[in-house]
Amino acid sequence: MDTLVAQYSRPMFEKENFSDSDQMELYTAPILSPRFAMPPVAQPSAWLRAATDDHANPNCPIKIAHGTTTLAFRFQGGIIVATDSRATAGNWIASQTVKKVIEINNCLLGTMAGGAADCQYWLAYLGMQCRLHELRHKRRISVAAASKILANLVYSYKGMGLSMGTMCAGVTPSEGPALYYIDSDGTRLAGNLFCVGSGQTFAYGVLDAEYKYDLSEEEALELGRRSILAATHRDAYSGGFINLYHVKEDGWVKHGFSDTNPIFWKTKLEKGEFSNVTSELV
Amino acid sequence: MNHLPQGWGRPRDDVYGAYDASYLQNSGPNQHTQQPVVTGTSVVALKFKEGVVIAADNLASYGSLARFTDVKRLRTFADAAVVGFGGDVSDMQYLDRLLTSLDTEEAYGTTGHTLNAHNLHTYLSKVFYKRRSEFNPLWNQVLVAGVDQEKKPFLASADLLGTTFSAPSLATGFGAHLAQPILRTLAPDEEAAAGLSKEQAVEAIKECMKVLFYRDARSMDKYSIAVVTKDGIDLRENEKLEAQSWAFAEKIRGYGTQVN
Amino acid sequence: MAAMFSQNPLMNGPNYSFNQTPTAAAAGNKEHAFYPYTDNGGSTLAIAGEDFTIIAGDTRSTSGYNINTRYQPKVFKIGGTTSSQDDANIILSVVGFAADGEALKERLDAIVKMYRYQHGKPMSVKACAQRLSTILYGKRFFPYYVHAILGGLDEEGKGAVYSYDPVGSYEREQCRAGGAAASLIMPFLDNQVNFKNQYMPGSGVGHDLQERERKPLPLVEVEALVKDAFDSAVERHIEVGDGLLMMMATKNGIEEKYIPLKRD
Repeated sequence: MDTLVAQYSRPMFEKENFSDSDQMELYTAPILSPRFAMPPVAQPSAWLRAATDDHANPNCPIKIAHGTTTLAFRFQGGIIVATDSRATAGNWIASQTVKKVIEINNCLLGTMAGGAADCQYWLAYLGMQCRLHELRHKRRISVAAASKILANLVYSYKGMGLSMGTMCAGVTPSEGPALYYIDSDGTRLAGNLFCVGSGQTFAYGVLDAEYKYDLSEEEALELGRRSILAATHRDAYSGGFINLYHVKEDGWVKHGFSDTNPIFWKTKLEKGEFSNVTSELV
Repeated sequence: MNHLPQGWGRPRDDVYGAYDASYLQNSGPNQHTQQPVVTGTSVVALKFKEGVVIAADNLASYGSLARFTDVKRLRTFADAAVVGFGGDVSDMQYLDRLLTSLDTEEAYGTTGHTLNAHNLHTYLSKVFYKRRSEFNPLWNQVLVAGVDQEKKPFLASADLLGTTFSAPSLATGFGAHLAQPILRTLAPDEEAAAGLSKEQAVEAIKECMKVLFYRDARSMDKYSIAVVTKDGIDLRENEKLEAQSWAFAEKIRGYGTQVN
Repeated sequence: MAAMFSQNPLMNGPNYSFNQTPTAAAAGNKEHAFYPYTDNGGSTLAIAGEDFTIIAGDTRSTSGYNINTRYQPKVFKIGGTTSSQDDANIILSVVGFAADGEALKERLDAIVKMYRYQHGKPMSVKACAQRLSTILYGKRFFPYYVHAILGGLDEEGKGAVYSYDPVGSYEREQCRAGGAAASLIMPFLDNQVNFKNQYMPGSGVGHDLQERERKPLPLVEVEALVKDAFDSAVERHIEVGDGLLMMMATKNGIEEKYIPLKRD
């Protein structure tokens, strides 16, 4: 009888405690594993979109930072990676000093466009996977394999609202200079030259006109810098500083994080470019 | 993929259908309590030198209907605190059962500690926050009145979202608009509240109940009032508003068909 | 609603964060339903100096046009050995939805305390900053509605400020304002801390202008700057006011200071 009653009656109240799994994080190191808290609704991704999609609804409550120009290209001396440094949320410039080149390890670089947190988190996760690959196989991971880990990962979250457009650049003995483009739709492309972000069209314009595989190191760096400069000049969502990297077989080299403004005036006044802008300041 | 990062990662309209803002406030079937049904109105409370005075009327409304006229919305806890409930009455009764069980468990504990008002408020706010995170909220705003571990007056609020705050005077619902200004003139800060006598505080709270009855259409003239000090709780559950003056009603113009 | 936490004026001009209802009309049949967030207003500010960090926040808590209370701190010490947090070395500020902020603070505090217990040494600010990022990202699909700023002294004893977006992207910065009045305070900080648009007097005109040299400000100047920033924000934002709670991390630990602000 008691079991019957228990079966058909509800308890007076539930246990209102947090679950044990919530306490686990106190005792174990954080694992960068794909386990996330979900909103307890029928369609979590639709709910998340309603709350965060400022593209479809400018009045949405949570805004995630966006807007970018990033580029990378292969040439005989390795790979040039260059980005701007602006982050925007709506019309608000949230930061002018974002580090959009993410150092996955000392010979692999990733670039960040789209959701800043998505890129930072998943490229850190990729760095971890690359290190595990090294430990398991006693050699460095190829860029092809690394980029595929990321592509498969984001593809498994397709439709959930991840937002990233990233490039993986590295030079390995087996592949030579290798460059891959991966985005949150799951696209993964190998190529010589990519520009990603709201300022990509402006960067392509400069880059395509001057690009040759046989560029010298000096010329290649200047071309990367000049392409980002063009994008920051014409795209309102790009700006701040130019972040320049050169990837070689024995690792990447950083070539500065430099303010666009003096570079712009130097380019204009010394080389006579940007003649659409007047130099009269007073 | 579109070249503007603003568009990335977002479900594409051509694949997933158009953006539906209704998810922000709406939901399909299989969802939990989404609105209160039988409700209690304001709870008001004020700290004074030795303790806290708290009051709420005895009405439970069903929409605009004054449905239940003898519902006690103040409940005591372990002779150390009083909880005043605003919002959904069924959720209030659920919390009452939860607190009864908590009280029993604590009373049988062997630590020798008893829960004070501060502990109780922390507990309630965690329950509220947990339930809001499950999208299954307990639709209440509560005031917890009592004394803390140092036997000093304690007064704090917790609501359905898990939001908490503490102040020398607090009021929920309509009371936040009508009673709080009256109480704040009397006790603008903790020092002023610590200078109030019990009589002053009780009088102020009674005045607030009267003002609320004048203007809050979901209120009633029968109310409960409790005074909590370190010496215990003095709870009266069948008080009537006294010395009402409806003279002001004569001067009200401009409602309904009456134009001047 | 834009300003909820993203601190920004909406696409077309100023707006106030208490307007929670989306203006875009919902399609199909509507019913009143549960919305798990609210905005409790307020603003925070953090500045890193040569050998100190200041994090400050006003103490007003609002819902809509109502003031909930005039004293609810938004700035907390993290990871001390006791509940009074006297020996803590990390400061966290959270602004946005106060219940999420409280939950985040307690989670981080518990983790940093456990770290000290398990490793026998306090957590570095750098490690704590990375951990906070993963905590926030753990709720990527049901975000904490907060703008968090973390601060303290780094391994070299220099001031460190880390600022976060709601889902955990973070950056070490010299200064950062968060919350309702961020768009009022941040431009002021750009000018006064990073000397943006300041030039050397007498260095010429037009292209000859020399930028003012950047150097770290002393503690007393930064303190005055923080107070000025909040006094100005109080004048122009309704959700900011009542009191200013400052925490200063130096090699001697964390010092706390409360200054009243206008209560209107």
